[in-house]
Amino acid sequence: MIFPLSVIFLRAFDETGREVFGNIFSSSVLRTIIKNTVILGVVVASLGTLIGFFLAYAQMKLNFRGKKILHVIALVPLITPPFAFATAVITLFGRSGMISRDILGLSPTLYGLPGLTIVLTSSFFPVAYMSILGMMKNLDPALDEASSSLGASKVKTFFKVTLPMLIPGFASSFLLLFVEATADLANPLVIGGDFTVLSSRAYIAINGEYDVPAGAAYSMILLVPGLIVFIVQRYWGERKSVVTVTGKPTGTPTFVENKVAKFLLLIIPVLMASFIVLIYTTVIYGSFAKFLGVDNSLTLDNYRYIFSGVGYDAIIKTTMMAIIATPIAGLLGLVLAWLIVRKVKKGRKLLDFFGMLGLAVPGTVLGIGFAITFNHSTKIGDTTILPQLAGGGAIFGGAIAIIMVYTIRSSPAGQRSGIAALQQINPAIDEASASLGASGFTTFRKVTLPLIKPALLTGLMFAFAHSMTTLSPIIFITTPDTPIMTQKILAEVDSGRFGNAFAFCSMLILLVLIVMGIINLLVRGNPNKQSIAPIASA
Amino acid sequence: MEKTMTTAAKSSKLKLKNLTKVFGQGKEKVTAVDSIDLDIVPGEFITFLGPSGCGKTTTLRMIAGFEIPSGGSILLDGQDISSLSPDKRPMGMVFQSYALFPHMSVYENVAYGPKIKKLPSAQVKQEVVAVLESMSLTSMANRSPNQLSGGQQQRVALARAMVMRPKVLLFDEPLSNLDAKLRAQMRIEIREVQQRLGITSIFVTHDQDEAMSISDRIVVMRNSKIEQVGIPAEIYLRPASIFVADFIGISNFLTVESAVASGSGKAKVTVLGRTMEVPAHPEALSKESILLVRPESISVKAAPAGNTTISGTQGQVNQVVFYGQHAQYRIQTQVGNITAVVSDPIFEEIVPVGAYAEFAFDSQRSWLLPADSK
Repeated sequence: MIFPLSVIFLRAFDETGREVFGNIFSSSVLRTIIKNTVILGVVVASLGTLIGFFLAYAQMKLNFRGKKILHVIALVPLITPPFAFATAVITLFGRSGMISRDILGLSPTLYGLPGLTIVLTSSFFPVAYMSILGMMKNLDPALDEASSSLGASKVKTFFKVTLPMLIPGFASSFLLLFVEATADLANPLVIGGDFTVLSSRAYIAINGEYDVPAGAAYSMILLVPGLIVFIVQRYWGERKSVVTVTGKPTGTPTFVENKVAKFLLLIIPVLMASFIVLIYTTVIYGSFAKFLGVDNSLTLDNYRYIFSGVGYDAIIKTTMMAIIATPIAGLLGLVLAWLIVRKVKKGRKLLDFFGMLGLAVPGTVLGIGFAITFNHSTKIGDTTILPQLAGGGAIFGGAIAIIMVYTIRSSPAGQRSGIAALQQINPAIDEASASLGASGFTTFRKVTLPLIKPALLTGLMFAFAHSMTTLSPIIFITTPDTPIMTQKILAEVDSGRFGNAFAFCSMLILLVLIVMGIINLLVRGNPNKQSIAPIASA
Repeated sequence: MEKTMTTAAKSSKLKLKNLTKVFGQGKEKVTAVDSIDLDIVPGEFITFLGPSGCGKTTTLRMIAGFEIPSGGSILLDGQDISSLSPDKRPMGMVFQSYALFPHMSVYENVAYGPKIKKLPSAQVKQEVVAVLESMSLTSMANRSPNQLSGGQQQRVALARAMVMRPKVLLFDEPLSNLDAKLRAQMRIEIREVQQRLGITSIFVTHDQDEAMSISDRIVVMRNSKIEQVGIPAEIYLRPASIFVADFIGISNFLTVESAVASGSGKAKVTVLGRTMEVPAHPEALSKESILLVRPESISVKAAPAGNTTISGTQGQVNQVVFYGQHAQYRIQTQVGNITAVVSDPIFEEIVPVGAYAEFAFDSQRSWLLPADSK
C-alpha cells in the first residue's frame, strides 16, 4: 500500500513531473483544470448533501407510504456501475435525447459541467444520505421534546436544536462528496466533454500521451484534497461527541403532520427517487433495445454480444477477481479493526489511518501508483523480491495487481464496519470469557466473531459491489488477459454502442444483487439469535 | 444436585500485599491504587466500598487479572498469582453489565466455561443443569439473554461464574442496574449462595446499604487507599475517620469544647454546655476532636411553651420530613443544623416546622473522632 504511493510520489517529482507542478501557476490550461475540478467538487458536494439531507429528514420525520421503498431506492446508486447514469442521462436528456428532443423538443448540451453535475450528484448523494441519516438516528428525540416543552415551536426547534447538531454531519458528508466527485474518472470521460478535470487529465496523460510522470503529477494534486478531507474527518470524528453523548435515544420521535409542510418536504426525495427509477428503467430497457431512442424494438443482440468472446471473459474474470478479493479484504479489515479496538494501545490511530488510506486515496492515484510500481519486477540490489505483478507481461496476466487493488479498496469497508461493531461490544463480554478460562484467541473465535459477523458481512457486501463497479484504479492496470467489465463498458460507450453498455450494466447489477443476496442469506442464517445490528457502510 | 454444589473447592484465602496500580506516564500519571494490604480469610464475604474513583474497581480488576499491578502482589492460598492471565486464575466474575454472551442461550452461556475446560460433554451437561436448577433458571435454559429480565440476567451471570467452581467470586457492582426492590432481593440471594458454598467473595459497590447488608467485612476506600477495614457495625458505629462516618449513613458532627481522657477508650467531653463521658477513638485526644452522633440516637420533643431560645440542647425546627416509620427533623442549634430521626413517632408529639424543640442523646451512642481526620 505504502510502496506504490511512495513510488508515485517519487515519479511525480522527477523532471517532467516537476514541470507539471511548475506549470500549475504559470499555465492557464492547468489552472483551468484545477478550477474545473474544484467547481465540480463544490457543486456536487453541496447538491448531494442537500438532497441527502432531504431524504434523511423524510425518512426520520415524515410518515408516508413507500418510506421503505424510498430508502432502498436511495441506496441503489451505491451499487450502480459508473456508466449507467451517464449513458442513461445522455440517452434521455442529451442532444437527441428521448425526453429532451422527442418530448420537449429541445436539444440541450449536456456534455460538460451540467451533465457531470447531474450524473455525479445522483451517483454520490447516497453517501450523504447515509451519513446524515445515521447522525439523525442518534439524535435523542427527548431533545426535541425538551425544546418544545421550553416553548419553542417545531420550526424554531429545528433551526435552534436539530440543525446545529447536524452541522458536523453536513460538513463531513460535504467533504466526502467533494473527494468522491473530484476523484471520479468514469463520468468525466463519458460526459465531461471539454470540461477537463484532474482525473481525466491524468488518464489522458498516461493512456493517451504515455507520459507517466505527468500523470503521476496530476494525480498527486488530486491526492491533496482527499488526504486533507481524510485527516479533517479523523479529527472531527474524535470530537463529534455532541451527538453520541446522549447514548440511547429515549424519547418518542415526533413526525411532521402539517400537510403542506409534508408535501413540500417530499418534493425533492420523490423527484430524486423517480429519477433513479427512470434511469434504471432506461438501463434495463436499453439493454433489450436495438438502439434506445433511435430504434426501440426489442432484441437480445446486446446480450448475445456481451456473452460472446471478450465480454463473457470480462464478466467471469471480473466476478472471479472480486470474489477472491472480498474475503481477503474482509479478513484484513477485521484483523485491523480488532487490533485497533482491542489490542493496540499506542499507535492505534496511525494503524487506523493506514488501514483507511486505501479508501482515502483517489482511485486514479492508486491505479497509477500500482501501474508504475509493479509493471516491472521489484528488486532490492540484484535479488528479485517480487515478480512483475501488473501489466501485460506480468504473472497471472496482471490479475494479482488487480486483486490487490480490489483488496486495498475493499478492506476499509470491512475495517470500518468491524470497528463500529466491535465498539458496540462491551469489553466486559471479552473479560467474562477470559475469566471463564478462554484464551484470547478462543474468545475471538467463540464470542467476538459471531457477534460482529452480520456487520462484517454487510460491510463486505458493499465492498464487493464497490469492487465490481470500480473503474478508476483498475483502468490503469488492466491487461488483455484480465478484461474488466467496467473497462469494457467504457469501450462500448466510447464507440457509441449504448445498447451493449446497457447490457453490461444490467449484467453487473444482476451479479452484484446475486452476491448481495447470498451474503444476506448468510447473515440471516441464524435468525433467532440477537446480534449487533448491521452497520451499512459504502 | 446438592451434591455437585457442595463439593465445590475448599475455601481459599487471598492476600493483597502492597498492591499498587499506576495509570499513564509522566504528567498524566494517576495512582489508582496506592500500596494496599489486605488479608481475606477463607469463605469470607468482603466488600470494597467507596466513592467513584477511589480505586475499588481497579483493585478488583487486578485480582481478576484484567489489570496488571504496577507493584505488590496478590497471593491466593500463599501462591503469587499476580502474573497469571485472567483465564488461568481460578476466579469467577459477575459484571455490572452482566456481560452475557448475546448470541448464546442461557444454557450455552453457562456451558461456555466447562466446554472450554474440555470437560466430557456428559459432565458439562450435568453440571450446567445442576447450576441452572440451583438458581431456578431451568425453565429459561433455552431463552436468549435479551429475553430475560434484569434480575434473571443477573442470576445467569452468577450461574455462569459458579459452574466453574471458582476459588474466589468477584462482583463488580452487579446490582446497580436493578431497581431497589430487586436489588434487595438479589442481595439476599447472592449472600445465600455464597454462604451455602463457602466461596471467598469480593464485592465492589458504592451503595452503603448493600455493603452493610451483604458483607462479613467492609473495606472503605478513599483516594486509592484503604481508609478502614471492619465488620459493618464497626464501620457504622466506630468509624475510623470523619470521611468514613460521612460516607456511611447520616452524621452529626458536634463541636467539642473540651475533651480529657478518662479510662481506656473513653473521654470526658463538654458539648452543647453539658459534660459527659463518651467512647473515643484512640487518636481522638491527641489532637482536636469532634463528636459523632447519628440522627437515630437523638430524641426530639417540643420545648416548654414560651421558651424561644436557641442554646444548649434546644433549637428551632427547620424542616420535618415524615417517612411513615420515622420522622426526620432538621433543627437549627447554636452549633449549626443537626439531623435527628425519631422512629415510630407519636402523632401528637411531632414537632411542627418553626416550633422550638429540645433534643437529647445517649452519650454511649456517640463516638469521639479526631477533627482533622477528614
